[in-house]
Formats: sequence, structure tokens, C-alpha cells
Amino acid sequence: MERSVLMVGIGGQGIQLIGKTLALAATESGLNAMLAADYGGEMRGGTSQATAVVGDGPIRALPILPRTDSAIVMHDKFSGAVPERLDADGFLMLNSSIVDPAKAEGDHTLVSLPATDMAREIDAPQAAGLLMLGAFCRLTGIADHDHLVAAMTSLLPPYRAQHAETNSRALAAGAAAVSERDLAAVSV
Amino acid sequence: MSAVAQPAKLELLEGTTAIARAAILSDCRFFTGYPMSPFTGLLESMSDLMPKSGGSCVNVESEIEGVNMTLGAAATGARAATGSCGQGVALMQEAIAEASLNETPIVIFNMARNQQDYFQCTRGGGWGDYRTLTLAPKDVPEAVEHTQLLFHLADKYRVPTILYGDPLIAQTRVGVRLQPLDLPALPPKDWALDGSLGGTGRSRQIWTWALGKRNAPGPGPDRHWQELAEKFESMAASEQRWEAQHVDDAETVVVAFGSAGKFTEYVVDELREEGHQIGHFRPITLWPFPGEALAEATRGARRVLVFELNAGQMIEDVRQFADDRKAIRAIGGISSADSGLSFGPLLDAPEIRGRIIAALKEEA
Amino acid sequence: MDVVTTDRPPGQEASKVAEAYPSLLLGDHSLCPGCGEPVALRILLETLQEMDLVQKTIAVVGHGCYGNFVQIIDLDCTLCLHGRAPASATGMKRMRPGSVVFTMQGDGDMVNEGLAEIVHAAARGENITCILLNNGVFGDTGGQQTATTVIGQRTKTSLEGRDPALHGHPIQIADIIAGLDGVGYVARGAVGTVRGVARTKKMIREAFESQLAGEGLSLVEILTMCPTGWFVTAPEGPDYLGESMESVYPMGELRARPNGEAG
Repeated sequence: MERSVLMVGIGGQGIQLIGKTLALAATESGLNAMLAADYGGEMRGGTSQATAVVGDGPIRALPILPRTDSAIVMHDKFSGAVPERLDADGFLMLNSSIVDPAKAEGDHTLVSLPATDMAREIDAPQAAGLLMLGAFCRLTGIADHDHLVAAMTSLLPPYRAQHAETNSRALAAGAAAVSERDLAAVSV
Repeated sequence: MSAVAQPAKLELLEGTTAIARAAILSDCRFFTGYPMSPFTGLLESMSDLMPKSGGSCVNVESEIEGVNMTLGAAATGARAATGSCGQGVALMQEAIAEASLNETPIVIFNMARNQQDYFQCTRGGGWGDYRTLTLAPKDVPEAVEHTQLLFHLADKYRVPTILYGDPLIAQTRVGVRLQPLDLPALPPKDWALDGSLGGTGRSRQIWTWALGKRNAPGPGPDRHWQELAEKFESMAASEQRWEAQHVDDAETVVVAFGSAGKFTEYVVDELREEGHQIGHFRPITLWPFPGEALAEATRGARRVLVFELNAGQMIEDVRQFADDRKAIRAIGGISSADSGLSFGPLLDAPEIRGRIIAALKEEA
Repeated sequence: MDVVTTDRPPGQEASKVAEAYPSLLLGDHSLCPGCGEPVALRILLETLQEMDLVQKTIAVVGHGCYGNFVQIIDLDCTLCLHGRAPASATGMKRMRPGSVVFTMQGDGDMVNEGLAEIVHAAARGENITCILLNNGVFGDTGGQQTATTVIGQRTKTSLEGRDPALHGHPIQIADIIAGLDGVGYVARGAVGTVRGVARTKKMIREAFESQLAGEGLSLVEILTMCPTGWFVTAPEGPDYLGESMESVYPMGELRARPNGEAG
């Protein structure tokens, strides 16, 4: 059984970090994982996406996935609100601070979170992606909070180590923002 | 090697890091490299990890310098390696031929930018009648196994060996277990230079001309190079590797190597499930090319679809061996990202599927 | 004591009482009469014996007439690619730091093809000893110009004599190397005279001492005669060397060992 999540946004939103965090958290909790990354040359503002696949056994999915069963869209500039490769009945999370949920029509299950605004509110403006990841993992059960925090902390390079605490709060805030209604929608 | 009680734990590693760890697991103690995408990660990992395991890693000033350092290290009996992408390996051709012809085992990691170096690693641009054994993994876990195998085979045959990697293998992160392969023991390297036989009348010599010394003449270039040619033939007979699925009743066989092989295998599996009589053949050794196995796998097939991301390189070997040459179609092509550093849009399951379906619809 | 007179032929046959032939030589060389390279080889081998380093030395020999020395030296050795000896020696020394590793290269090998290798090995401070046999010509291929050919020297590729306007200037590699941090000892000798041979042998010893002390790269450039390449007769070689090369490549220590003491 394999599950995939495509994460898209623009450079600077931390897409690569949340991808690595998810894949590492899954690995540390004993699952198989794969992370394929694709990003442009620009340091900020260019396209950034990462796809994580998590499973019980050695990953069979291709490093360039023809389809994905879930997606997190932090910015729709390069992917549109509904990424092309998302399964028609897949699970989509939108960063409604930037992406208009009205643009996300379709049969997929949709959960929106104003991640960028929420991150500012908790004084973690750079951690919107992690906030979203916290929510995503709470909704899907793909990785638990403790493993996410441990993975994120170990992934920070020395010059960003001071952000570990803020990032941790963001992960928690995202999980806390998940409503009973959202949980019900996803479990269907 | 004792039986392993517990499997190694799963670690999420970027491909180049996994390969570096696998090399160190194989007791590689010397590495050289010059930064070049997508090989750079391997050099960086080795710079970090090699000294910690008691070895030496040099960020060299040219690929030529690097491969020659590696030759020197290997001449003393150490397991030594170098690497680059195809452009850098191009600079190393003389030294690779030299290693093949003076029987110095080295491992070369071509973290290629695409599939366009097939000729380079099978025909080579060096000089003379030399061969290099080349393995093309389809993904990171296979690359980890191949790395260990390459050090083993290099020592076993005293020959340079090549890993054909690519950007996907280099940059994808995968959960891998760094499990040591259970490989047979090899004889000690009594040919290696350590200075100890100086002045004894039995001192050693490493030389492509193999003329030996006045008191112990060698075979000389004529016999030495003939003996090497025989060695390569025997390697070719015994070291071919490949994978085949669903070929027994296949009307169509898709042939691909490396990462492309992982994609084509995925699509062929899908098409099989949909009822197509389609099979898959993936050469794992690019040299020696598994020709007889390919012939066997394509026996009776009406179509042999060769998918490679270049202008047609492996297809020449397919033409040599496929059971029916008229059944061969090229369904790949050059496909590069705008950066020139990675694959283009053709390496994608829907694209590949489209091309296979189109070929199935053609009259056989 | 029997005094043997010398005013007439001796009454008994001569008998060999000792051999001055270094035991590390397995046979005669096949180089031209008057070549300086075998002289350089001999003093190098004698030095290794005197320093008792024979059973821990690895020789990395480049490509040139001297390449054939790999057949007659009783040392663990390799004939490596043209110009690459310092790189190969680097790999060897790093894997066997307890060995003494030296390169033997001609000027074409070290200063033409291998310029990058020697400079980088020196800058990196690799603990190897590099021996440069400098005769200002590509001898093995018939006598073409190299980066060290002196102005006015006739070669097969500068038939009227090397002309700066057409062929540029020679490179004094030892001076360049002497200026790099990472270097332990650099000297230049010549084997055209008895005195030169003696001085050069001392330089070789200093160089190996420097390697043993881990001081960095040591380089001994040795001017050698090449009468064939210079279009002179064998007996004319030593004088020609002195006249044509020594003013461009003066003998002496270019970089003393760190503590400045003689070995």
C-alpha cells in the first residue's frame, strides 16, 4: 500500500523542507518512503515542488509520478489550484491565504486552511508550509507529530537551527486547526 | 561474511549519499572528484564521510588529475574510485583504458545527466582493446547494491568498472537499507605496490606494456594484450545481468535500461493488467550486454520497442542480438530539460504509455 | 708489499675485487651513449640504499626515454600516464603513508603535459618527492621542443632555434614550485660534471629527508645531457649542458627545508 502527496508552491515557502520532513518522519517511524524533488534555478519565487511517497514495502512508485492521491498547494502560480496529476477522487489541501478555493472544483476531497495568515498570527511567518503539513498529517495519519518534529529538527542546517522551536509550534498549530468536520470529510 | 541477524535499518538517503555510504561499506578508502552536476552530491558526501571512516577524499583540480590519483591509490591495493558526469568521464578516457590494460581495479561513478553516455561506457573513448564492466541501476536501492558489486567485480577481474547513474538516481531520496551484500572472498592483492619487494629481485611492476624486468621478463604488449582480450571474453560470458518480465508469451517486448527501465516496467505492468501481451526486458550490465538473454526474451515477439533517452545507442546492441531485427522499433529519443542537466518531458509514464500504445496500433 | 710497476703492461690478468654497480639495477639501460638520465638514476638508487629506504619505496615513472627504467630498477614501480605521475603518487602516498614515493619525469612529461599536476600536488603539500630530468627536449619522440627548451636551441619543432616571437619562453618550473606554500624542499642540480653529480646526489638525499619528515612536496630538477636531442656528440654533451642550460637553470637550492639545516 503506497500513498503519495504532491506539495507545490513557490521558492521560499519551504516546500522542499516539508517534503523532506514528511519523508524522513515516515522513514523514522519504520515506513518506506521516497521523495522526488523538482525546483527551478531561482532561490525565491520560482517553481518548487516535491512529491513524497510512503508505503509498507519498498517503494514501487516512479520518481516522476504519473498520478498522486493527495496534494498540498501552497501557491497555485505554477500548478493551478488543482494540480493536473491529482487523482480525480484524491485529497487536496489548499493554502486559502493565497489560493482561492473557488478555483478548486472537482470530485476531490478539499480542505482549505489559511496557512500563511495563521503562520503570521502565531509569529511563525516563514513556517506556513510546516503548519500546513501539521494539518495534513493530522488529517491523513501519514506521520505523527513527534516524528515530524524530530525529522524537521534534524533537517535544519546549522544556520537555521534557531528556527526549530518556531517550526515546531507551526506543526502543532496546523494539527490543532483541523476540525472534526475536516476529519470526517477525509475519512470518507 | 557471517549471516546477518538483523537487517540494516531503513534510512532516508539522497541517492548520492546512499552511493557514498555503499562505497564506504565496500571498504572504498580513496575517492576523487571535481564538482559537476549531478555528480557533485557524491563528491560532497564523500568529502564528509570518507575522512570519518579513515579514508581520503580529494576535491581535485581536474578530472584528469582525479582519475590518475585514483589509479595510484588502487595500484597500492586500496579500493579507490572517482566519478563525474559524462562530460567529466570524457576527460578520463585515457586513464580508464590504462586501468583496463594495466589491470588496476577502479570504480567510476558516471552520475550522468541523461542516457546519452551509453556509447561512452560500453565502447569508450580510450585507446586499445580494452573493456569496462558497466552496471545501470534503475533506482537508488539498486544503485546501493550495484556499488558494492562494482568494487567486488573490479577486484575480481582487475578491471575498471562503471556505475551508470543519472539525475533521478542522484537526487531522489529513498528509504534504503545499507545491507552489505554477501559476496565471495577474493584472493589477496599480491600484485599491489607497497615498496616491500624493493631490492629482492622480485619487485613488482604495473605497466600496460608488461615487459617485466630484466631478471623476470613479462609477456610484453603482444601477449599481454591478447591475454587481456581473452580475460574480457571470459568476463563477457559470465557477468551478464538482466531482468525480464512477462516475456514468455509476449507479442511485444519493451527494452530499456537505467531509470528509463523503471518507468517502462511500470507502464508494461499496467498494460499487462489491461490484457496486452506485452513483456519487458532490462539489461543491467550494459557491458557485457546480455545478448543471448535478449534473443531468448524476444523470440516470437512481433515488436521489440526500444525506449532510451538518446538518439539511439543501446538499440545498436539490440539489433545485434534481437531474434528478429525487423521487429525492432525505436520509441525513445533525446529528451533534455532546458538546463541541459536533467531529463526532459519524455521520461514520464503517460508519455511512454502513449508511445507504446501507438506502436501497438501500428501494423506489425 | 708488491709494487706493481706501470711502465709496462701488467704481468697478471686483472681480477674484479668489487662491484660498484648498484644492486638495485637489474641490467644495463638502453639509452643513448652520453645520456645524463642513467647517471641521475644511479645516484638516486644509491641514495635510497644509503638511506635504507629500498624496501619501502614505490617509484612512479613517467613517459620518456627514462620510462624504460621500469625494466631495470629493482623497486616496486609503475609506468604511469604522461604528466600524471604527481597525481598517481598522491593516491599512493595517501594510501601508504609509510612508504617513500617518488616520481621520475622528464621535462616534457612534467612541464608540458603535467604542469597542472605538479603545481597542484605542490600546493596541496603532498608528501612525495618529484624528480625532474630536464634536458630541454622531448627525447623519446625524436627531439621536439618542450616547455623548457632554451632560447636558441634547435629542435625538430624549432629548427632555426627557439625564438620567443614564435615559440615563447622556457618555464623554470622549479622556481614556480619553490614559491608555493605546501613545498618542503626544491633544488636544481646537473649531472654534466663530477661536482654536479656530487651536489645533485646531496640534493636528492635532502629531498627524501624532507619527505620522511613530512614537510610537503620535494622537487629536485636535474639537468641531464641529451646529445642526440641536441644534435651534438656524446663527449660534447656535458659542456653543451653547461653552456646552454645552466645559465637559464642555475644550480642550487631554491627552497631550503623548513629548518634550513642540511640533512
